[in-house]
Amino acid sequence: MSEQLPAILLLSPLFGALITGLVGMTDHRRCFPILATALTVSLFCAISLLAQVVKSGPIDYFVGGWDPQRVPLGIGIQLRIDGINALLLVVITTVALLTSIYSIRRAGEENTEKTPQFYMLSQMLCVGLLGITVTADAFNLFVLVEVSSLTSYALVAMGSKPRGTMAAFNYIIMGTIGASFYLLGVGYLYMKTGMLNMAAIHQILSDPNVGHSPTVYVAFILILVGVWTKMAFFPLYGWLPNAYSYCPSTTSCLLAPLMTKVSVYVMIRVMLSVFGSEWIFQSLGWSHTVVWLACIAIVAGSVLALAQVELKKMLCYLIVAEVGYMVGGAWLANHWGMVGAIYHILSDAFMTLCLFIAANIFIKNRRAERIDQLEGLFKKMPITTTGFVIGALAMIGVPPTAGFFSKWYLLRGGIESGQWGYVVALLISSLVNAILFFRIFEVAYFGKNPVESHDAHHDHEDETQPSSVGDSTLFSGEGRPTTVIPLLITAAIIVLLGVFNGPIVEIIQQALDGMPVVGAAIR
Amino acid sequence: MKWLGLIATAFTGILLLSATPYFPSFGDPNSPANAGVNGGVSVSQYYITETYTDTKVPNIVTAVLADYRGYDTMFETVVIFAAGVAIFAILRSFGGTTIPSHPTAIDTSVEGDHQRIIIGMTCKLIIPVIQLFALYVVAHGHHSPGGGFQGGVILGASFILMALAKELDTALARFSEKRYLALACVGIFIYSGFGLLCVALERNFLDYGILHRLMPATDEIMARSHSMLGVEVGVAFTVTAIMFAIYANLSSKGRLEQGF
Repeated sequence: MSEQLPAILLLSPLFGALITGLVGMTDHRRCFPILATALTVSLFCAISLLAQVVKSGPIDYFVGGWDPQRVPLGIGIQLRIDGINALLLVVITTVALLTSIYSIRRAGEENTEKTPQFYMLSQMLCVGLLGITVTADAFNLFVLVEVSSLTSYALVAMGSKPRGTMAAFNYIIMGTIGASFYLLGVGYLYMKTGMLNMAAIHQILSDPNVGHSPTVYVAFILILVGVWTKMAFFPLYGWLPNAYSYCPSTTSCLLAPLMTKVSVYVMIRVMLSVFGSEWIFQSLGWSHTVVWLACIAIVAGSVLALAQVELKKMLCYLIVAEVGYMVGGAWLANHWGMVGAIYHILSDAFMTLCLFIAANIFIKNRRAERIDQLEGLFKKMPITTTGFVIGALAMIGVPPTAGFFSKWYLLRGGIESGQWGYVVALLISSLVNAILFFRIFEVAYFGKNPVESHDAHHDHEDETQPSSVGDSTLFSGEGRPTTVIPLLITAAIIVLLGVFNGPIVEIIQQALDGMPVVGAAIR
Repeated sequence: MKWLGLIATAFTGILLLSATPYFPSFGDPNSPANAGVNGGVSVSQYYITETYTDTKVPNIVTAVLADYRGYDTMFETVVIFAAGVAIFAILRSFGGTTIPSHPTAIDTSVEGDHQRIIIGMTCKLIIPVIQLFALYVVAHGHHSPGGGFQGGVILGASFILMALAKELDTALARFSEKRYLALACVGIFIYSGFGLLCVALERNFLDYGILHRLMPATDEIMARSHSMLGVEVGVAFTVTAIMFAIYANLSSKGRLEQGF
């Protein structure tokens, strides 16, 4: 049975969504157990796959049994799991499971009659993200991008805030453009190679006659721009802040940590498995340009975050900056940059999740959407604020959190490849993060009066009932256990990920042995 | 901002066009997609020559769609399903404030009566034929052009025609919300269920060949052909249901009441 794990990993949430559709409509209480079971099965599969990969190398799974022993490679669809995406699978399922715990009560409150639909969509989103991660077929990747995008548009639009609907519309337009660019790129590649399987394309592109064709360069640009739009890389980030800050809180906890990270992974996958680092860094030789773009993204994201007064908006702009870290790291054209970028995908997913859960609890319980409304939070809800502080310290890069080590590897990559601009941008961004979060700590710790009154114009935007705030103040101002527990687990994971960074980096390096990062040509 | 858009569009256009001189010529039998690169594997050659021996399905497109790349098609169906669920999640509104009743658009004059009768009778005659044809398209998908998507769309269109010609309620009475939502789920259940059966019989996901053990008087190759029909039926279920769901929700602003 163990060789069937890749299929079960994907099928479990898919069947979860279908069963929710069949039996969850009549009784909403059935939805959560189905979701939790489906995701637990997936998590179990992901962990066993990781163990298997670490033990005996990458796993190839040929859907429909069209494996190369019977037919040539590329006839059917291949799934490939190596150390990098096995780690990412564990992260996706863990984040989804933590968010589902957070959603136990919140989903019902935010979507009332549409709770089953919410659960169906979020499970299909997981199917899409897991599928994107495991596939080794360039077109199949697009299909799964469609699955994950469509569900995420709906999840963003489900909220009751009118601005959320508008943000979802922007998100649809930008997301569709991104996906179309990717598809166009794959079409161009197919025209030149006649293949959709990543390994097969890679093999054909290693022939300089094909690999140096302008069509292939255009294909790469199209794919890159498409993926950049999907991940909100700096000039293409416009859809992200509103979509993630005006959507229902459960949606933001699910989307913010996962969507951009998986897109970054897609970029890395395309760079390493489809085109190959030799082609990217030596034939193309753009690594300097892209790293400079990443520097602009990092600095711009940080500066824009500094300008925000709303907590969730600020976090969204920080995501934009973090995307810059990862793109820059991946394009540094050396081993440590790539390791840092991949490790940062993992740690940033948990950091973002931690901060978003905490911010959502603040908004829900204290109605504190703006940073200056966070006064006196340490006194009112010490546990939640501690979770927030751990997430924030990781974002700043304080050891022993995961954020410190990912920055460490990225900086090492930057220094080794002599990209000093990137090193400076990373340091500036860390400094800005420190300013941002210490400003919040100051307000939360020294601020005198806990927020009782709030601005009138926030009233009609708030989806919460005043009575529920009264309820939750009963247990000393903390959020519900179902929201605080996932926060604390996430905070613990951030620290554990940092402490045990050695073995994780080893897994990443082992996976990179198969597709080494070749340094840029000396210019 | 408009200028920025224009520049971006022009840039994209130039980028797309700049690669065209290096494309293989149109219909070139030696293009990479047709003949492979440097004598390597050509996927399309393989499909053309081997499909019939592999699957006993004369329609290559269906074989590629439902068997060789069946995994893609399953997720395409999931995309359609997701679109339906998304429409439901965003638009559907339950009760709440009743909408101000629209003035009925029905023409009550004698002439209007005549038109209603003509449209009603025509639809009565034509809808069964459309539905029968839809079933034919689904069932013959692996022998002639057609398949689950096309058949499903035709079947869904017949219900939409019913709703257009009469009233939404008339169509909903035959195809209620509960029923179409369930049918959409069942469709994907059938598709992924075929895949899961293969996993249960210790083959890879969607490796239909092994299903010959469950089908009387078939070998591995015929089992592939039969399973393709099975998954096409699943696709047709989902597409039919979602087509109608989208129409019903869009046309009534999610209330599923008459009054457009």
